[in-house]
Amino acid sequence: MNDDTHAHGDTGRGARDDTGRGARDRIGPRGAGAWHLGEGDLRAYERGELTPPLLWSADAHLAGCAECRSRLAALADPVALDAAWERLDAELDAPRPGLLEGLLVRLGMADHTARLLAATPVLRRSWLLAVTAVLVMSAAAADTLRTPDSPTLFLALAPLLPLAGVALAYGPALDPTYEMAVVAPMHGFRLVLLRTVAVLAVGLGVNGLATLALPGYGLAALAWLLPALALTATGLALMPRLGPVLAPALTGGGWVVFLMVTVTTRHGDGPLPPFTAAGQGTAAAVAALATGLLFLLRNRFDSVAPAFTHHSHGSTL
Amino acid sequence: MTVTSTGTATVSASGLTLRYGGTAVLDDVSLRLQEGITGLLGPNGAGKTTLLRVLATAVPADRGAFTALGHDPGTAAGRLTLRRALGYLPQNPGFHPDFTAFAFVDYVAILKELTDRAARHREVRRVLEEVDLADVRGKRIKRLSGGMRQRVALAAALVGDPRLLVLDEPTAGLDPEQRMRFRDLVTRAGQGRTVLLSTHQTEDVAMLCHRVIVLARGRVRFEGTPAELTARAAGRVWSSPERDPGARAGWRTATGAFRNVGDPPEGADLLEPTLEDGYLLTLDDTGTEAAR
Ligand SMILES: Nc1ncnc2c1ncn2[C@@H]1O[C@H](COP(=O)(O)OP(=O)(O)OP(=O)(O)O)[C@@H](O)[C@H]1O
Ligand SMILES: [Mg+2]
Repeated sequence: MNDDTHAHGDTGRGARDDTGRGARDRIGPRGAGAWHLGEGDLRAYERGELTPPLLWSADAHLAGCAECRSRLAALADPVALDAAWERLDAELDAPRPGLLEGLLVRLGMADHTARLLAATPVLRRSWLLAVTAVLVMSAAAADTLRTPDSPTLFLALAPLLPLAGVALAYGPALDPTYEMAVVAPMHGFRLVLLRTVAVLAVGLGVNGLATLALPGYGLAALAWLLPALALTATGLALMPRLGPVLAPALTGGGWVVFLMVTVTTRHGDGPLPPFTAAGQGTAAAVAALATGLLFLLRNRFDSVAPAFTHHSHGSTL
Repeated sequence: MTVTSTGTATVSASGLTLRYGGTAVLDDVSLRLQEGITGLLGPNGAGKTTLLRVLATAVPADRGAFTALGHDPGTAAGRLTLRRALGYLPQNPGFHPDFTAFAFVDYVAILKELTDRAARHREVRRVLEEVDLADVRGKRIKRLSGGMRQRVALAAALVGDPRLLVLDEPTAGLDPEQRMRFRDLVTRAGQGRTVLLSTHQTEDVAMLCHRVIVLARGRVRFEGTPAELTARAAGRVWSSPERDPGARAGWRTATGAFRNVGDPPEGADLLEPTLEDGYLLTLDDTGTEAAR
């Protein structure tokens, strides 16, 4: 449309082609704030050795501070300086990292890993909000359906959350770039693991917070943890065979059916079997077995999953 | 257009077969690709996307094998080396719509193992410039036009300077002007590379391709140069004032006369064949063969 024609015009390109140093041209008269780059940082910047997040701060600062730019120019030899300008130019092109991405890098994660995680749909804010809402509701429900020694409904629902998160984090259902990712040289399993760990961390974190909201039960309120790990590992391990939709759906469905059976057949009022010591042991064993299976099947994540159907991506935008 | 059929094969496949629920979507497909641009022509459902997915290592074939750039994707090591030299543009490329063009291509570059930040950003700028998107690199993808998105996807495919480019209907859904631009880009991208692109449009093939493969019902029906495909219709195209009932196909042209393909009657007014005529006749031959 209009955008398009505009973009193909010469606007903006001439300036950079004159000098090959777009960054220099784009630097505006913005205020630079009170601080200045130290000598050591400037030298590291000039040599291209500064890493994010410090690099980002330096970029942002240099873009706005004429004084530091001239100090940089003074201390650099011309060849290296050209390289530094080019780097600054590329940095200015690079988008500001999003909230999550920036946070992860500040926490010490490599910037490329942070980008991979930022592209995990389930980690996007909207998802987090929806998921938190579900949990708050289930914790509230657990509180109303108060049973004497365990928050049964909460324990039953909480393990499903990380499973759902993992199912949504990888695979064609919600990753619009799934097919491109599959044929990229990066090992598919690495992407799966990376996202699983991230989603588990978030899911378990949210669950943990919800647990804190149920202080009356003490440790019993944490009985969801091992079933959660077992369900997640099982769902993932079944994915190469059943596909990214059916595998977690069957796993989650199996869990619900199993709980309903135990509810109808139990005697007395104690905790449901999965939340007893024996049940917890079984959950731990299942988690370990499924993890082992997953490891054996790791190469299967390198092809398109079986249930990936034709033209399923037409409307992802 | 000087590439001849005697060039060395960069991709060669034999007996590729893939079934979905009992029907063979690919049925014993054998082919050879060489440097330059090869067009994959075929009607809807012919199996083009499926073939491209197999060649792009997204799905393994049930039977048959292929080598590409000297690598055997049947082995994990061969697949990895091939993937490092591969650019793939899926039929409906998906995006993370909130990413900017730059961030998206950067993301794909990470998937392609470019971990060094400075080198990666240089590469992202290079490919965005190659597809004339340098000016909108900071825009979010959801704000780009369809044609620009398609170019973002092409840029992503070009990251890492792949020797083999697999493009699934790269010109579909583009208006004529965009299509011309895109053809230009593909022609440039095809220099020194092996490019396989699928299309419905004989025009794409006529304007872009050194070689053409016609696929119908999962089988290769033709493999050769566009001129050879055109030559299939030599002496089989004629003009008549009214629709010729003996023709395999006929349509009214701008002049008002009918253009017929098939077996012309005695003394018919023969016309110079086009690539489209050759393609239609090839498809029609496969149709009659299937009907028998
Ligand atoms: N994952 C799948 N599962 C089941 N059937 C499939 C799958 N992928 C493709 N098919 C079927 O295989 C046939 C060929 O599909 P394919 O997408 O390869 O055709 P195509 O030539 O690319 O068609 P189009 O021109 O419409 O893109 C179609 O009948 C399609 O429905
Ligand atoms: Mg297709």
